Amino acid sequence: MTPSTSKRPKQAAGQTPDPIEIQSAALIFKTTRDDHRIAWLAALAISIHILESALPSPIPGIKPGLANVISITVLMLYGWSAASWVTLLRVLVGSIIIGTFLTPTFMLSLSGAVASLIVLWIAYHLPGKGFGAIGYSLLASMAHMAGQFFIAYLIFIPHPGLFRLLPPMMTMAVIFGIVNGIIVNTLIKRLNDT
Amino acid sequence: MITRADIFAIAFAILLLPSLYINLWGEAAAGDSAAILIGGEEYLRVSLTEDQTITIPGKLGDSIIEIHNNSIRFVSSPCRGKQCVHSGWLKEGGEFAACLPNRISVAVSRADMRYDTINF
Amino acid sequence: MTSVNRLPHYLPATLFISLTALLLAACSQPEPLHRTQLLTLGTLVNISIWDENEERAENAVHRVEHSLTEIHRRWHAWQESDLTQLNRDLSNGKTTVLPDDATALLKKAADLALRSEHLFNPAIGQLINLWGFHSDERLDGPPPSSADIQALIKTKPLMTDLNFNVDGINSSNPAVQLDLGGFAKGYAVDLAIAELRADGIENAIVNAGGDLRAIGRHGDRAWRIGIRHPQQAGIIASLETVGDESVFTSGNYERFFTYEDKRYHHIIDPRSGYPADQTLSVTVLHDNAATADAAATALFVAGPQHWQAIARQMGIKHVMLIDNDMKIQITRTMAERVHFEKEPEKKQTVTLIDL
Repeated sequence: MTPSTSKRPKQAAGQTPDPIEIQSAALIFKTTRDDHRIAWLAALAISIHILESALPSPIPGIKPGLANVISITVLMLYGWSAASWVTLLRVLVGSIIIGTFLTPTFMLSLSGAVASLIVLWIAYHLPGKGFGAIGYSLLASMAHMAGQFFIAYLIFIPHPGLFRLLPPMMTMAVIFGIVNGIIVNTLIKRLNDT
Repeated sequence: MITRADIFAIAFAILLLPSLYINLWGEAAAGDSAAILIGGEEYLRVSLTEDQTITIPGKLGDSIIEIHNNSIRFVSSPCRGKQCVHSGWLKEGGEFAACLPNRISVAVSRADMRYDTINF
Repeated sequence: MTSVNRLPHYLPATLFISLTALLLAACSQPEPLHRTQLLTLGTLVNISIWDENEERAENAVHRVEHSLTEIHRRWHAWQESDLTQLNRDLSNGKTTVLPDDATALLKKAADLALRSEHLFNPAIGQLINLWGFHSDERLDGPPPSSADIQALIKTKPLMTDLNFNVDGINSSNPAVQLDLGGFAKGYAVDLAIAELRADGIENAIVNAGGDLRAIGRHGDRAWRIGIRHPQQAGIIASLETVGDESVFTSGNYERFFTYEDKRYHHIIDPRSGYPADQTLSVTVLHDNAATADAAATALFVAGPQHWQAIARQMGIKHVMLIDNDMKIQITRTMAERVHFEKEPEKKQTVTLIDL
């Protein structure tokens, strides 16, 4: 279930609404096929989030952030609100399942997610539809890294030496941002084909 | 599927990276000492000339730090990611390794970086 | 999701990226810190200026370089200079007319020598020369013979032998030969700071071969000074200057030569004629650089047992003395200002002194 999105992006208009009404004591929820898809994608994002934290990374110490592929996909298909819903849900549920909820790992994850959502909000609401999946993914990935460093410096290690780690980490963020964007393009093509 | 704006974004990123390296890394020169920080506060300052292994109590447990051959590294850490251990040996002034979950970090420095000028 | 690449469509996104880039560029503006290294006074002079106006900083440095070269030329102890000319006149009993600033400098040196009980004694030029320190690099070789040293000690050259008369300066003791080694650097640093100030510079450090005076601040923080460890590489302690302060250290590691495994350094005790051998280093914090320079030398010579009385007479309150056993004596006022790099080791005890 997603919060009712008043502004549905045009790209998502491929499906006809398929309302299912669930009656409870006081509330009436309407869910659509889109809502199901978003829920399914959120579950996928959470799974990827957990897998990424459990499996060894190809480059020690650096995560490719594959779960962001889902966030960008949702952004492309269902808009910013849905994307932020999926992203925040993933960070929250993922950390509770892994057991890192409210730990530094979670705080960094959350600050990265919030920073990338802020940048995506601006990028998404710019007049015209300039960015594609690669642009969104790259900007989100870089904002994610910048946000993490900002919070790490603010809360955990207020030592300027911390920023010594930024250049290589940002390099990885750029590479994975572009790669993830390409994956999003492939994914959307597949989803549209089905 | 790539848009022009995407290409601008990529160009921006590629231009940003070198400036990050230049601004944040500066010139490389061997460090003379290292600060071991707990939560950003200097807990211990060690000389890189004295080989030793130190156990630092962190939030999660003990991090073990080794100094050898004018270099310093995390040998082990109770955190999950082990980013600090993967950072390997640090040698040059300004080099930094951090274990965020355990709140312990190591910053190598040179006298001329810590101070505006040296009196002798 | 077919995006049409018409101009208005990607323009906002491009603008967004450009604005972000501009913002980042603006945030990463370099600090208004200008560092210059000058080769003058027979040493390296480092000038750090914190000033928004780059042109003003550059002009000020040029003027300082000019003045320091001038001082070096006038006061050089062994190359032909006004000072070597004066020394010839003094030994011949002649009276020399000096410019006002030179007279003032010598009067100040004489006053400090008197207050230091002549432990700071710029009149022992012959002794310094005998030890071979009147050269850019004292090569390893035998020290002077004890007989030669004793002969010079007996002549008792003192700054009080100088007579400042209306018609000029002369010496009642022909053995007086001036060597402003422990003073001219401080004088030059004071002059450099005065010139920077006259040019409107309010935040700067002038460091002449390790001895310095700092004014103002480094932006929104104080200037940070590291004090070198007298026996190993690295820093033993640090301090932050407040307002206008000079930090001068006399150390036995600065100039020395080795002969038959024994080290002879350049700080000669005017009483014995030999290098003062009880102390590794003395660091003095004082507002005036010339005074700090003379005091660091005098307290080094006075040594671990006697420095306190001399410091009192010279009006010095901030002192840190490290003796041969790495024992640190530090005045309470200095201890409040100094931060030790690491906790002093057990063998290296620190004694607090109330002056």
